[in-house]
Amino acid sequence: MTDIVACHDLSKTYRPDHLAVDALTDIELTIAEGEFASLVGPSGSGKTTLLNLIGGLDTPTAGEVYLRGQRVDTLAPGELADLRLNHVGFVFQAYNLIPVLTARENVELVMELQGLGTADRARLSRDILHEVGLEGLGDRRPAELSGGQQQRVAVARAIVSHPAVVLADEPTANLDSQTASSLLELMRELNQRHGITFIISTHDPMVMEFARRRVMLRDGRIVDDTVAA
Amino acid sequence: MSAGTVIRSTSPQRPGLRLYLRLAWRNVWRNPRRTLLTLSAVAFAAVILVFMVSMQLGGYGAMIRGATGVFTGDLQVQAEGYHAKQRLRTAIADASSVEARVAAVPGVTAVSSRAQAFALVSSATRTYGGMIVGVDPAKEPSVSTIPRTIRKGRYLSGATSDEAVVGQALASNLSLTVGDEITVLGQGLDGSLAVAVLKVVGIFSSGVPELDRQTVEMPLASFQSAFLLGDRVHAIVVRTGGLEAVPHVAGLIRAAIANRPGLTVLRWDQLLEGLKQGIAMDAAVGWFLYTALVLVVTFSILNTFLMSVLERTREFGVFLALGTRPRILGRVVILESVILLLLGLAIGTLAGAGITAYAGVHGIAFSSSEELLAQWSLPARIYPRLDLLSVTLGPAAILLATLVAALFPARRIRRLRPVDAMKAV
Amino acid sequence: MARLALLLRLARRSVLRNRRRTLIILVAISVALWAMIFFAALTRGWENDVVHNAIFTLTGHLQVHAPGYRDDPSVDHSMKPPNATVAQLLAGTEVAAWGTRVRVPAVVMSEHDTAGVTLVGIDPAAERGLSFIADAVHTGRYLDSPDDRGILIGRALADRLGTGVGKRVVVMSQAADHSVADRGFRVVGLFEGDREATEMAYVFVGRRTAMTMLKLGSRVSELAVMLRDRRQLPAFLARLRTAASGLDVQPWTTLEPMAQAMVALGQAWIWMFFVVMYVAMAFGLVNTMLMAVMERTREFGMLQALGMRPRLILIQVVFESCFLLAAGAAAGIGLAAGTLSLLHGGINLSILAQGAEMWGMGKVIYPAAAVVDVIGATALVVVLGVFSSLYPAWRAARRVPIEAITRN
Repeated sequence: MTDIVACHDLSKTYRPDHLAVDALTDIELTIAEGEFASLVGPSGSGKTTLLNLIGGLDTPTAGEVYLRGQRVDTLAPGELADLRLNHVGFVFQAYNLIPVLTARENVELVMELQGLGTADRARLSRDILHEVGLEGLGDRRPAELSGGQQQRVAVARAIVSHPAVVLADEPTANLDSQTASSLLELMRELNQRHGITFIISTHDPMVMEFARRRVMLRDGRIVDDTVAA
Repeated sequence: MSAGTVIRSTSPQRPGLRLYLRLAWRNVWRNPRRTLLTLSAVAFAAVILVFMVSMQLGGYGAMIRGATGVFTGDLQVQAEGYHAKQRLRTAIADASSVEARVAAVPGVTAVSSRAQAFALVSSATRTYGGMIVGVDPAKEPSVSTIPRTIRKGRYLSGATSDEAVVGQALASNLSLTVGDEITVLGQGLDGSLAVAVLKVVGIFSSGVPELDRQTVEMPLASFQSAFLLGDRVHAIVVRTGGLEAVPHVAGLIRAAIANRPGLTVLRWDQLLEGLKQGIAMDAAVGWFLYTALVLVVTFSILNTFLMSVLERTREFGVFLALGTRPRILGRVVILESVILLLLGLAIGTLAGAGITAYAGVHGIAFSSSEELLAQWSLPARIYPRLDLLSVTLGPAAILLATLVAALFPARRIRRLRPVDAMKAV
Repeated sequence: MARLALLLRLARRSVLRNRRRTLIILVAISVALWAMIFFAALTRGWENDVVHNAIFTLTGHLQVHAPGYRDDPSVDHSMKPPNATVAQLLAGTEVAAWGTRVRVPAVVMSEHDTAGVTLVGIDPAAERGLSFIADAVHTGRYLDSPDDRGILIGRALADRLGTGVGKRVVVMSQAADHSVADRGFRVVGLFEGDREATEMAYVFVGRRTAMTMLKLGSRVSELAVMLRDRRQLPAFLARLRTAASGLDVQPWTTLEPMAQAMVALGQAWIWMFFVVMYVAMAFGLVNTMLMAVMERTREFGMLQALGMRPRLILIQVVFESCFLLAAGAAAGIGLAAGTLSLLHGGINLSILAQGAEMWGMGKVIYPAAAVVDVIGATALVVVLGVFSSLYPAWRAARRVPIEAITRN
């Protein structure tokens, strides 16, 4: 198995001038292709910061980040944007969708940015919406969808362009447990069926059950890294 | 004790103005960038309005002073009907006693009598038509600037001499120079031929093309004898302390000559109807422009007010849930807008007044349009007039319009229900 | 192209999303543009009127005089009628009308009063299309021929002189031999001018009658020419100057410097107002766009997280302001067109006629929207409006707002 994500000596300090806050310290982490990993730990432990650094949303204070062997932390903003567009899928806790676009258009957005033709987009988005169980809801705007449905659209959008990794930051935090469970079920299915790598940050015990690998963070350091049998 | 009394005994909400002010002031600075932009918009409009209104009023003042100062005067006493049809026989009889009465009226600073008639003016080689004006050489300089604009020669010296001063354009049309003789040929009061042979002692250039093209001034007494007028004159020209005093002084003069029927007192705005209307027209265009500006600024600001309320819907919900009355929230929001507006207006008004005061000292030059301005009795440099009116008029209009705009979003708060408000994002 | 379509769609829907805010800023933009265009049209109407009046009050597009006539318009500076070369030029296709005139200062007397005027001897037929007088007769009749023995005077002058059609007046002027020439005329008609000053200033008689009265022989004071198109003036002027060497050939712009100066002043006013209105509108636009951008921080963060390049986000915001500006501009132009079509018949200023005259205006002013002003105002608002929205756009695109997208 090849490493999809690799972090070496990764540190992030906010406000380095005064009142420095160390969000992450000396992180060493590799994630292999096809893994379904969870980042756990109390709030403020650095989960979100780590995901943002991996996805190129944020830049580290020190250390290196590699995505599919490509160095991420030294890229210019425009290159980072392209990296995210082609290799990373994001799912956030809430407010994932562009409110003025329908579910289908939200899914197609990434492909449009990639320059895919109309026919390809339509086909792929129809398939993917079917796969996440949102058949027939493609023409609804986010405001007309339930929280769980919105997160399914977000997942669909994250995987539609076959990214190297999908980074999900507390995707179930705003959902009731039944909805959360079915969303996680969906992500695991996608992981197993298509081999898409998932990294999910959470403090929801249910997520931890779903993930084989569990990386635990506390105060910006990795304190535990176990793979379930 | 019943529950009702308990409820009634809770103190009614009367938070002091200081709390409102503190809340409002902090809210104003929550979004400094937006606040600064709004302040700039208000201040910009205030600067423009203060400056333009001052310019306009200053320009009008200069126009009126220019137009009245050259020849017309602030007021004139005339025989009724003379202003409409300037006929030789429509004259004031027993003029010296009327003049004495007018001169005695408080507020009158200078008085001079004139008689005038249209006549043929001939030089050795040329003949032109001209307006012959009989003036009192001693008093005329106190009511008219013409004696001070002699370009060649000098002004009239004696009351009974056979001297004349001629407008520059007329002099050049007649090929006249100082020392030449002119013959004036007109019609006397009884219809007979009136002839006067005069010596040109000066050539004037008043700056008013119409006067320079056709006016000849000669001593009043000589004029009266040539045109057989006796002690009659056509106008008693009056100067007052200032344009503001004119209506009042006009009333006093009217009372002073009430025993002389057939006389009328005309103010400058009646004598120079065109000037008055021209100013009215220019002012109307000005109001149109200012209204448009205030309207655009108001709508520009309305959005800011509206947004600052809408984005805080949730916060208002919390306030309401805590038991704050909607009316009080509304007041705070209006107070915010008022603080913002007053601040912007203060900055704009001060800046506008500063710029205007500077221009008021140095004047604004319109070098390329001098000739055009002269035609409107305007000097080449216009000094904006800074006074209470010109400084407050524009900002007051902005305040009024924008306050209405501020009420609109504040009204929304009164309709808010806490539960809905807190659900809002 | 696909991306452009996406950006346009995002921009359009975002603008439509907050209808109230969009509507308010549209009102600001359209009122600004409406006021700009309307004011420009008023000013152009005034300019046109000044120019039209300058040209049709006896000036024409160009005039030929004896040297010295312009400084001293008397019988002493008269000239021979057009020679063969000049006549040939005048027969050219670009000439719409031309005529020779006698034009000297004079005094007109009735039994009641006397007034100074300019005596104009005309070819009545030649004045059609050359000056206002042929169509200005209010009561009585127009002159028949250059030999007509009647006189045409202005209504205001008739009032002042206490005379009228059928009555006699005496005109006095200086003859070519420096004797006083006087002659009685019967008033055959009263004319009405656009300005009272015109009615007071001119009296018209037959040209040959005037020449006889003033002992001018075959000499005249001036030749006035009207071209079919004002743009042909410079070329025609050059040819006429060659043909009429030794004479003073001048265009109307030189003959009526005031009209020219007023046009320049009007131009300056228009642009000053344009800039002021633009600035007032720009504050509103920038603030509105800034708000639109700030409240959508999350949305822009999301788009960036999905891999939209900052440049594209900037373009999207600029598109949004383009939509606002285009819609506002369209509404403003429509509003202005409506207002102007309501005022199609002109704005009647007769109650302020004397004031209008002070500004060089006639009794009716016809607002005239010049294409260049409409384009200028629209371009100023739209182009600079887009320019001023670059700041909010830059704020939206400048970095990934991590806080906004990851925290709830």
